Amino acid sequence: MSERLADGVGVARAEHFETVAQQREAATLGIWAWLITELLLFSALFLVALITRIQHPEATVAAAKHLKFWIGATNTVVLICSSLTMSMAIEFSRMGWQRAMVRAMLATAALGGLFLVLKGYEYYADWDEHMMPFLSNRPFALAETPAARLFVNLYYVATLLHALHLFTGIALLLGMTWMAAKAGFLSRHQNWIEVYGLYWHFIDLVWILAFPILYVVNR
Amino acid sequence: MSASGSIGGTARREPHAPEATIGRKADYLHAESTLRSWFLTTDHKRIALLYLASITGFFVIGALAAGVVRLALIVPNGAIMANDTYNKAFTIHGVVMVWFFLIPSIPATFGNFLIPLMIGAKDLAFPKLNLTSWYVFMAGALFTLVSVVLGGVDTGWTFYAPLSTAFSNTWVLPALIGVTIVGFSPILTGLNFVVTIHTMRAPGMTWFKLPIFVWAHYATSLIFLLATPVITTALILLIMERAFHIGVFDPAYGGDPVLFQHLFWFYSHPAVYIMVLPGMGVISEIVPAFAQKKLFGYRFVAYASIGLASVTFFVWGHHMFVNGQSDLASLVFSALSFAVAVPSAVKVYNWTATIHKGALRLDTPMLYAMGYIGLFVLGGLTGLYLATLAINQHIHATYFVVAHFHYIMVGGTVLAFLGGLHFWWPKFTGRMYSEPWGRVSALLIFLGFNVTFFPQFILGYLGMPRRYATYPAEFQLLNVLSSAGATILAAGYLFPMLYLVYSLWFGRKAPANPWNAKGLEWETSSPPPTHNFLSPPEVPRIPYDYPIQAQESRDQHG
Repeated sequence: MSERLADGVGVARAEHFETVAQQREAATLGIWAWLITELLLFSALFLVALITRIQHPEATVAAAKHLKFWIGATNTVVLICSSLTMSMAIEFSRMGWQRAMVRAMLATAALGGLFLVLKGYEYYADWDEHMMPFLSNRPFALAETPAARLFVNLYYVATLLHALHLFTGIALLLGMTWMAAKAGFLSRHQNWIEVYGLYWHFIDLVWILAFPILYVVNR
Repeated sequence: MSASGSIGGTARREPHAPEATIGRKADYLHAESTLRSWFLTTDHKRIALLYLASITGFFVIGALAAGVVRLALIVPNGAIMANDTYNKAFTIHGVVMVWFFLIPSIPATFGNFLIPLMIGAKDLAFPKLNLTSWYVFMAGALFTLVSVVLGGVDTGWTFYAPLSTAFSNTWVLPALIGVTIVGFSPILTGLNFVVTIHTMRAPGMTWFKLPIFVWAHYATSLIFLLATPVITTALILLIMERAFHIGVFDPAYGGDPVLFQHLFWFYSHPAVYIMVLPGMGVISEIVPAFAQKKLFGYRFVAYASIGLASVTFFVWGHHMFVNGQSDLASLVFSALSFAVAVPSAVKVYNWTATIHKGALRLDTPMLYAMGYIGLFVLGGLTGLYLATLAINQHIHATYFVVAHFHYIMVGGTVLAFLGGLHFWWPKFTGRMYSEPWGRVSALLIFLGFNVTFFPQFILGYLGMPRRYATYPAEFQLLNVLSSAGATILAAGYLFPMLYLVYSLWFGRKAPANPWNAKGLEWETSSPPPTHNFLSPPEVPRIPYDYPIQAQESRDQHG
């Protein structure tokens, strides 16, 4: 890989690295290590949700039936599409098609935004159905089953944490798109797009794990 | 016969002989001197010193809180301070010492400073991330201290639910948020170390030429990466529960308090090895240098680091023997806890074998290392008592536990920290410290530590519970003894703070390699230049290439 091209594709070598290959290797390993920690952050929540299901199947199914399956399913599709556009952005960046890359990144951010809007609507519907047990002014619809309350609480923590990641991801993506739209970006920082792409796919992956665990199992 | 020749010193590998000192302009301390150049630095050595200064500050805060606790326990009836104040004092002590001193101590200071030097790299893989981790650490730690200023926390450093979520009416929330933020700092540091050790080694620096210090930090970094996210989850859940009543721990919200203990100890047991493993790395550098002998069983010591890091993930249940977990689970966790002894013992035996028939020099770092080995053995062996189900029923949550984990965490971390600080002080600062004062303080700390904590084993065995502000009058003698020991210990801690700072201006200029030690960090000047090496370092033929080689060759040829 060339070190630096005026208008081409490449990575500018930072001072403390000996070669660009070393720099790329470090960046890739670094993002994978970070993603493992992120996965563990969520996995504790998912594990507890699964154990709750196994120990209290009836209460959790009753609670899970209140979740808006079709919104969740639509959101799954939305995120998978956003992963596709992100992959396209990476492919375009490798080919040096800067304009197409920027468009694909904007599309990715838009799909991420759509997810958040749908999620927000879902929370509103939950509120409407008295499915927010932590609001003392709106008595919980399934009050007599503590396990249902535990499951619903886990659902809120897990989805809020995911939404927070998605929100941060969109903000980072827009910031990077702004930089990537400038001339010469691809000749210096092509690997940023690759590294960021892995993070976006990870957000997608977490949802793909969350959706069956929270919405689908035993439905 | 070449091995026998090496004993006579004829075939002794001459150090790469770098310049003892370099121009002031070139060394990393003096290259730039603006405040900005320190607080926006990306040089791993300067960041290490930022950490060193901050954790020393936190150590002082934690030590003062410990002093308050020991003061309160001089009398049995709690006459010196209110129970509430006592609870807040031991909570501050625990929170500050565990989260803001012990966990970052060796990795964030020595690890940051030495890993790139030891592997022959110019810097860590992600210098900006390294600086970020210091700011994250400081932000979180200061946020937590705000809760202390506002009025304190009384939950203990473990934040057990539902006390922390529903019943405590102190400033739990800012403390929780601060600790959660601090948690990201070791994740970033560990990530940086793993990537650096994988990708930044100098040509020829293979895995089995790495110093044990680097192996230990590699193992520690894996724990940082794999355990810390789980405590972050647990703390986020606590915050949600306390602030918004989105609960999973309090039965009132449908939750399960034992679940918190599972999540908490899944991190906090491995965290013990976050504290101990780097200390083991330090000791594995000091012992061969002051015995002038190759580290005995290098590969086994390296494997034992990874072994400890792995086993430690499977023993968290031994913190829950008496909370109603199933007998089968307790049995399994008990058996696995015993397994921790194996890699720990491997290390102790290897250090002992290294010392055996070495050319011993009892300078300050070596005194700390010997003290470390003694305290670690006692702490480790009492861990076996606690892992035994029947004995655990008797001594659970007593001062026996307090004594045990202080032997491991203070004996195992603070002594290694101080030993390492003296060992690498010439490299950090370019100055020598006062050797007589160093020896005096090492002996004072060892003495003070044992007088403080050994009586606590007896107190615990006799049944004095931990975390109580009052106790039956018959325990007073041992408690007074313990508090007296804490005074000696405090003096021992105070001396290094004075003579080390004094040496910064008035100490003798340090040569590049004052201990005649091996390892790439000694092949550059003291202090090193900004990019660590003026010319690419020569990677040694074998690790720990000291004049005295393995025992067998000595017996064969000698």
